[in-house]
Amino acid sequence: MLGLSQLNEEKIILSPLCAKRIKALHDDKQKINEEKIKALGSINIDDHGFVYFPDFKFTPTITRDYGKVTGMCEIGVNFRRFLNESPQYTNKNSALGGAWISYLANWVPMGIAPGDYPNDLKKIWDKYFITQPGFGAMNHCAGDIEIGLKLGWKGLLDKIRYYREFNNPSDTTFYDGEEELVTGIIEWVKKIADHAKKLAESEANQQDKNNLLEIAEMNYRLAEYPPSNMREACQFIAHFQSVDRMYFAGGALDQLDEKLRPYYEKDLKSGILTDEEAVWYIASLFFNDTHYSQIAGLTPDGSRDMTSRLSFIILDAMHYLKIPVNLAIRVHDNINKTLLRRSLEYMIEDGSGVCYSCNIGCEDGYAKNGFAPALGRMRAKVGCNWVAIPGREYPLQDVTRVNMAQAFVFALEDIENNKDYNLNILFDRFKYHLRIMIDSILAGFDRHFEVISRNTPEIVYNLFMHGPIERGLNCAEGGVDIMDLNIDGIALATVADSFAAIEQRIINEKKLTFEELFNVLDNNFEGKEDIRLMLKNIKRFGDPESLANSWAEKIRDEFVRLCRRNTPKYNIKTIPGMFSHGDIFSYGKNLQATPNGRFAGEPISHSNEPDPGFARGLDSFSPSLKATAVAKLQAGYGNSAPLHLDIDTNMLSANGGIDALISLIHTHNHMGGTLINMNCLSEQKLREAHEDPASHPDLVVRVTGYSAFFASLSKEYRQQIIDRFLSSKQVRL
Amino acid sequence: MKNKSGKIFNIQRFSVYDGPGIRTVVFFSGCNLNCLWCHNPESISNKQQLKFNSDQCILCGKCFDICKNKAHEFKESLHILDRDKCEVCLNCSKQCYAEALAPVYREINLTDLEKSLLTDEEYFRQSGGGVTFSGGEPMLQIDFLRDILEICKNHDIHTAIDTAGAVGFDAFEKIMPYCDLFLYDIKAYKNNIHKNLTGVSNKLILENLTRLSDTGGVNILVRIPVIPRANTDEMADIAEFLSKININKCEFMPYHKLGAGKYKPLGIANPDTANIFNTPDDNLINEIKDIFKRRNILC
Repeated sequence: MLGLSQLNEEKIILSPLCAKRIKALHDDKQKINEEKIKALGSINIDDHGFVYFPDFKFTPTITRDYGKVTGMCEIGVNFRRFLNESPQYTNKNSALGGAWISYLANWVPMGIAPGDYPNDLKKIWDKYFITQPGFGAMNHCAGDIEIGLKLGWKGLLDKIRYYREFNNPSDTTFYDGEEELVTGIIEWVKKIADHAKKLAESEANQQDKNNLLEIAEMNYRLAEYPPSNMREACQFIAHFQSVDRMYFAGGALDQLDEKLRPYYEKDLKSGILTDEEAVWYIASLFFNDTHYSQIAGLTPDGSRDMTSRLSFIILDAMHYLKIPVNLAIRVHDNINKTLLRRSLEYMIEDGSGVCYSCNIGCEDGYAKNGFAPALGRMRAKVGCNWVAIPGREYPLQDVTRVNMAQAFVFALEDIENNKDYNLNILFDRFKYHLRIMIDSILAGFDRHFEVISRNTPEIVYNLFMHGPIERGLNCAEGGVDIMDLNIDGIALATVADSFAAIEQRIINEKKLTFEELFNVLDNNFEGKEDIRLMLKNIKRFGDPESLANSWAEKIRDEFVRLCRRNTPKYNIKTIPGMFSHGDIFSYGKNLQATPNGRFAGEPISHSNEPDPGFARGLDSFSPSLKATAVAKLQAGYGNSAPLHLDIDTNMLSANGGIDALISLIHTHNHMGGTLINMNCLSEQKLREAHEDPASHPDLVVRVTGYSAFFASLSKEYRQQIIDRFLSSKQVRL
Repeated sequence: MKNKSGKIFNIQRFSVYDGPGIRTVVFFSGCNLNCLWCHNPESISNKQQLKFNSDQCILCGKCFDICKNKAHEFKESLHILDRDKCEVCLNCSKQCYAEALAPVYREINLTDLEKSLLTDEEYFRQSGGGVTFSGGEPMLQIDFLRDILEICKNHDIHTAIDTAGAVGFDAFEKIMPYCDLFLYDIKAYKNNIHKNLTGVSNKLILENLTRLSDTGGVNILVRIPVIPRANTDEMADIAEFLSKININKCEFMPYHKLGAGKYKPLGIANPDTANIFNTPDDNLINEIKDIFKRRNILC
C-alpha cells in the first residue's frame, strides 16, 4: 500500500466515455424511479435500487398448515425458486450485471408461526402502541463481505457441505436451507450471464456490446470461482446486496474501501485497471443499490487512518453518479483532511452527500459495554443510523422503538385519575410505564432468541458471518460471538418539554392548574391557543439553561438505566439507543395532545433532537446549539442517535463555511455525538420541489440516516424536510 | 462585578462572517450612528422598544386588558398598537405567549452572559474562533464590554469588537488589552458624505483608526459596506487613507436587504433608501478590491 505521505488525493477526471456511461446510469436511475413512483406511489424509505417489473408474479410453495413459510428449508426452497423465476435486468452502461426486482416477502408469506408468537406480550405492545418491539425483526446486522470475496459462491457451497458432514447434526435443515439458497444464487448468477449475453447479441453499439459480453463472461466465471479482480469483486458484492435486499430488505454492507483495496492495488499493479475504471465500477455498484457502507476510520489497533486512494475513488463515484447513496465517512482526529474537505465540497455541489459517523461516541461508547476498544473501531456505519462489526455482531438496531411520550401520556392519566397533582408523582408514574414498555421489549428479545431461527432465520447473513456455518447455528441464536440487542427510546424532546412546561407554568409560576391542563389537553387545546402557546413557548430542550434540558437528562438517564439490565431469561446484553427513523408521524398519530403544546396526532420529536423552533428569545438558532444538545443527550453506549443539519447553501459557500463545518464535525465528535446527517440546500429549490416534485426529479436529500430522491417522498415526509430546513435557517444580522 | 448587566438584543452562534473561525456574536443595543441602510434598526435606540409582529398575534386580547393606557386596540378584526400611548412598560409582552409582543433587548448580567458564551467554547477551540461583540455600537456600553472581554480572556477565548469607532479614544484604551481583533467599519471618507449617510461626522472615526493603527500589537480588520448609490464613489479615497496607516486586512460587506422586514415591528416606516440602494454584484466588488490591491492593501 502507498504510504500516507504518498497518497494520491487528486480528483479523478473522467474520460468522455466514462462520464457518458455514468451520466447514463444517473438518467436511467431517475427514469426507473419515476416509473416506480407512478406505479407504487411515494416511497418513504431509501430507494434500495430495485427495478420494478409490473408483470412479475410468483406463487410460493407452502407446506405448513398455518399458511406461512417458515424455517430454513422452506425459505431456502422458495428463495431458490424465486431467484430462478425473477426476470433479469442489466444496464448496458453499467460495469455490472443483474438487479433485484422485488422483496421475497411480497410473494412469500414468511413470518412467525402462530404458536411461537408472544401473545402475552402483544397485549402490552398494543396498549403502549409498540409497533416495533424488536421481536421478529430481521437483518440489521452486517456481513463480513471478505468471507464471500475469498470463497465465491461455489466456495460458500463447499463450506456448507463440509460443515454439514463435519458437524453431522441430527437435524440438517440449517444446512439444507443454506444449500438451497446458495445453489439458487449460483443458478441466478448464470442467468444474469445468459441475459447479458443475449442483450449483447442485439446490441448495435460495439462498445456496449463488448461491455455486455464482458459482463456475461464475468458472471459465468463468478458462478464457478471467487472474484479475482476489482470488477468481479464489485459484481460479487452487487450479487450479495441484491439477494440480501430481496430477503427482508437487508442493506448493510461493510468497510468498502478496505474490503476492495486488495483487488484495486493488485489490478493497478498488474496494469489492468485505471482509476477512472475503478470509479465506473463503484458507480455501477451504487447504481445497483444505495449500499450502506463506510470509508475511512481507524484501523482496529487505532494506529492509522484507513483512508486510501480507494476512499477517494468511492467518494468520486458517488459524486459523479448523483443518486441516493448511503455512504458514511468515519470521522476521527487524524482523518485525512482532504477527504473530509472534499466530501463537503461535493455536498455544496450536489446538495447531499456522505454522512459522518463519529468515532469517539461510537467507539468509546461501545467500549463502555465491556468490549475491547478495538471492537468499537471495527464497528462500521452500515445502516440508517446503525453500526455493526461486520461478520461478528448481531446488534438488531433500528427495529425497536419505545415511544417515551406514550409512557408520559399514561402517567398523566394516572395522576389525573388519582388526583395526585404532583410533579414527582408524575415522574414516578412515567418511570413506571417506561419500565413496563422496556420490560416487554426485553422479554420479547428472549422470545426472539428462542424462536426466530425456526421461523425466519438469517439465511443470507449467515453466509457472511464468522460462526453460523461453522457451528450450524443461525446468527440470531448464537451463530456469532457477539449479541448485543438495541432498544431505541424516542420522543425525548416531546417528553422533556412537557415536563418542563408543567414545572414552569404550573409549579413555579402558577399560571395554570393541573385541572386546567387536563382540560385543555382533553380538548386538544380547542379555543385555548393562548394556553397552548404559554406551554409551548418556554425555554425548550436545546436551550442550555432550560429546565427542559435538565428533564431531558433525567429522562435519558432513566431510559438508559432500564435498558441496560439485559434480558431476563437468557441475560442477553442490551444497549440503549435513541433513533426514531422517520417514524415520528406514525408514533404521533395516536398520541393525545401533550403539554409541550403539541396537538393530538401531530408528530413526536425526532430521536434525541430538540424540536424545530426550540431556539428563541435572545438565542437565535444555530447549528452548534442543536449539535451540542444532541451530543450531550446521547444514550452513550455506542449506538448512534443522529444530528440532522440542513445547511443553507449560502452559508456553506461563504468564506470559511467549509472550515466551520469541519470544526463542527470534529467538535460534535469530541462532545460525544455519534452521527451527522447533512443536507446543503437552498430555500427556493426546496420550496419548488415541495410544490412540484417533478420540477426537481434529481434532487437528492438525506432524510434521516438514508438518502432518497426528494420526489419519491410522500408530502408529509417532504414537509418534514422543509420544516427542519426553515427552523434551522440562520438569520444573518 | 458580575451583577453588572448589558443591553443585548441577540446572541448569534456559529457565525462565520464576523472574525476567524466559528464565532458567537453578541449584539449590543444602542448606536450613535444612523446609517441610511441599517439592517439592524432595532439596535439604533438605546432605549427599550416594543416589537409588535402582528402576524404572530392570535387575538387572545390579554394585552387589551392589561395596558393601562389602552395602547392596544381591536379595530376591524385587527390588533392595532397605538405607539403614542405606549410607555414601553412591557406588561403586555409578559402576557403575550404568542410572542407577537416582545422587548427589543434584554438586560443580561455578566454571569449569565459568561455561561451562555461558554456553551460554544469547544467550537471556538476546534475552529480557532471566539466571541465577537457587535451591535449597535458595543463601545457605548464600554464598562460592561470591558468586563465581559476580560472574562473571555480569562477563559482564553479569542475576542473581536465590531465597531464604527465614533467614541472617545479612551474607550479603546479601556478594552485594548482584552481585544484580539478590531473589526472597524469605514463607511465613507469625505466628511459631508459620511454625515449624509450616517448622520454624524467621521472625523473622530478616522482619527481613532489612525491612533489605533499606531498602537503596537493591535489587529485591525477594516470592514467597508459596499452600497451602490451611497458610498461606491468613496472607495478610492478610503483606499488611499488606509494605505497610509497600519491595518491587517480589509473586507467588503455587500449591501443586502435582509433588514427590510425589521422596521414594521418597531413601528418605523422602511427608509426610502431601501428602494434606492442596490445589492452590488460580484463584478463591482472585484473592481473595488482592485482599487485596494493597487495600494497594497490586503483584501
